[in-house]
Amino acid sequence: MAASVARVLKAAGGRQLLLMVARRRPVLRQPFLLMPRKFWGTSALRSEDQKQPPFSSTSAHAGTPEHAEEQYQQQQPPPRYTDQAGEESEGYESEEQLQQRILSAALQFVPDFGWSADAIAEGAKSLDMSAAAAGMFEDGGSELVLHFVTQCNSQLTELLEEEQKLVQLGTSEKKPTTQFLRDAVEARLRMHIPYIEQWPQALGMLLLPRNIPSSLKLLTAMVDDIWHYAGDQSTDVSWYTRRAVLTGIYNTTELVMLQDSSPDFEDTWKFLENRISEAMTMGTSVKQVASTGEAVIQGLMGAAVTLKNLTGLNQRR
Amino acid sequence: MAAPMRCILRGRLCWVRGMWRCQKAAYTEDARKETHFGFQTVSEEEKGEKVYRVFENVAHNYDIMNDAMSLGVHRFWKDWLLQLMKPTPGMQLLDVAGGTGDIAFRFINYIRAQREKWIRQELKLQQDLSWPDISKTYQNKEQSSLMGSRAVICDINKEMLRVGLQKSLRLGYSEGLSWVAGDAEELPFDDDKFDVYTIAFGIRNVTHIEQALQEAYRVLKPGGRFLCLEFSQVNNPMLSKLYDIYSFQVIPVLGEVIAGDWKSYQYLVESIRRFPSQEEFKALIEDVGFCKVNYHNLTNGVVAVHSGFKL
Repeated sequence: MAASVARVLKAAGGRQLLLMVARRRPVLRQPFLLMPRKFWGTSALRSEDQKQPPFSSTSAHAGTPEHAEEQYQQQQPPPRYTDQAGEESEGYESEEQLQQRILSAALQFVPDFGWSADAIAEGAKSLDMSAAAAGMFEDGGSELVLHFVTQCNSQLTELLEEEQKLVQLGTSEKKPTTQFLRDAVEARLRMHIPYIEQWPQALGMLLLPRNIPSSLKLLTAMVDDIWHYAGDQSTDVSWYTRRAVLTGIYNTTELVMLQDSSPDFEDTWKFLENRISEAMTMGTSVKQVASTGEAVIQGLMGAAVTLKNLTGLNQRR
Repeated sequence: MAAPMRCILRGRLCWVRGMWRCQKAAYTEDARKETHFGFQTVSEEEKGEKVYRVFENVAHNYDIMNDAMSLGVHRFWKDWLLQLMKPTPGMQLLDVAGGTGDIAFRFINYIRAQREKWIRQELKLQQDLSWPDISKTYQNKEQSSLMGSRAVICDINKEMLRVGLQKSLRLGYSEGLSWVAGDAEELPFDDDKFDVYTIAFGIRNVTHIEQALQEAYRVLKPGGRFLCLEFSQVNNPMLSKLYDIYSFQVIPVLGEVIAGDWKSYQYLVESIRRFPSQEEFKALIEDVGFCKVNYHNLTNGVVAVHSGFKL
């Protein structure tokens, strides 16, 4: 089973995935290097946690979306999604930072103007700058969408990090993986709510050929972060399957959300919960099938040997 | 966060301006400071006069000659400039050396089209309008069909401005245009006034290019954009040969035949050869303080559009 998954992955651009993994690695390792004790602490907590019944999770989940909204208002300078790092000295704002600020200011105009250069122009105006500054972004709308996704991802990372800190301090209990994944994806998707009317347009832009490399990078980074904070330490093929499955769940839920008209997107969250529990049961049943398969094969081999012995084919003279 | 940076930049600008005052004083002392006029070497004062005379002579046939010399391609270049600019309603444009108004007219047209688009979108969003609402949109339309946009055309040459003004009346541009006679090196405008500064096929004729760029920086609002459309260097050696033959063998002849003026068009092609290359000009723009400076070559570098932002 595992071998076939690996083969499929290899066929479907496995090399690219590997490259991406290679690129992600240093980022992933950073926390490990900086605070090894913290990391071991979490893994210990996790093994304890697995023994506990699943419904022991705290009500931390209810607070998360509000928290996300709050953070959203603060508009922290988000990380850049391009690799051109400008030199930053204190008290001096680099071009890059100014651009990020304009894009952040432009987000409030997205509901009126869509993901467009017009929204960026309005954003620049709100910062007492000339509307012509929108010309700095050659591909206005796409850059705005990518900026938004980057910002949401970093907010999610902060959120998860804070949760992890609380767990480490012992003030809140560690959630079971199912609950954790569900909450993380929900918190992330809730960030789209203010722009839900314009989100189809944004999705279309993210899928434009020229934007696919950066949007794919952002998506994989986000999924990777979620698994990292969920305490995933796998080093085998399941590293890929876990990420692939979560990406699939995230994307389908995102699409369901667009069609959802229920109050507070209840149907979407129900859908999300079902998909995650399905994936989890699938994981365990895959393991079961694999072990049963092995047992069956061993049994068959044994039977064949016995048959050989009975018929006397195994005799040597 | 932006404020300290702006202060720094402004401080630097003031210092720079102080510098040119010193330089200017130096020039008056040594009035024989030399510059180029085409391939000739002349004193700086003389260059200004000569350029003035050239454009006085060509003003009446300027548009016809542009079409004839570039085979109509200059229209695409100018359209392309507008596509890069992407004006939005409410923008203030300063078109320096824009005598016959080619850029300004395009700007007005673009703003009008943009506004039509907005209105259409608005109507699409709210399909069931009440009659008072509809009448209100019409009233608004009459009040400001440009939504506060304005194009100021500034040219040192009064003859060119006169031709442009006549053209605007003929084409029916009644509002949103101002015609100002002024020197690109000493613009008669306050600081931080315009969203976009354009100079199309003009900066080549300015005696002190740096000074004109500093003035551009001064009159732009923070976030404003500098755009320059200018002849540049052809990169492809084969095309470059052809282009040289065309420039030196055909253009002066065309000038003589159509406009009855060989010398002015001889100057035109020579001045193109003396103008700095794309990269050199980019460095000049950056020196003045513009950020995010880049350029696009059009028609293999026959012309280049340089763009920069005042941040």
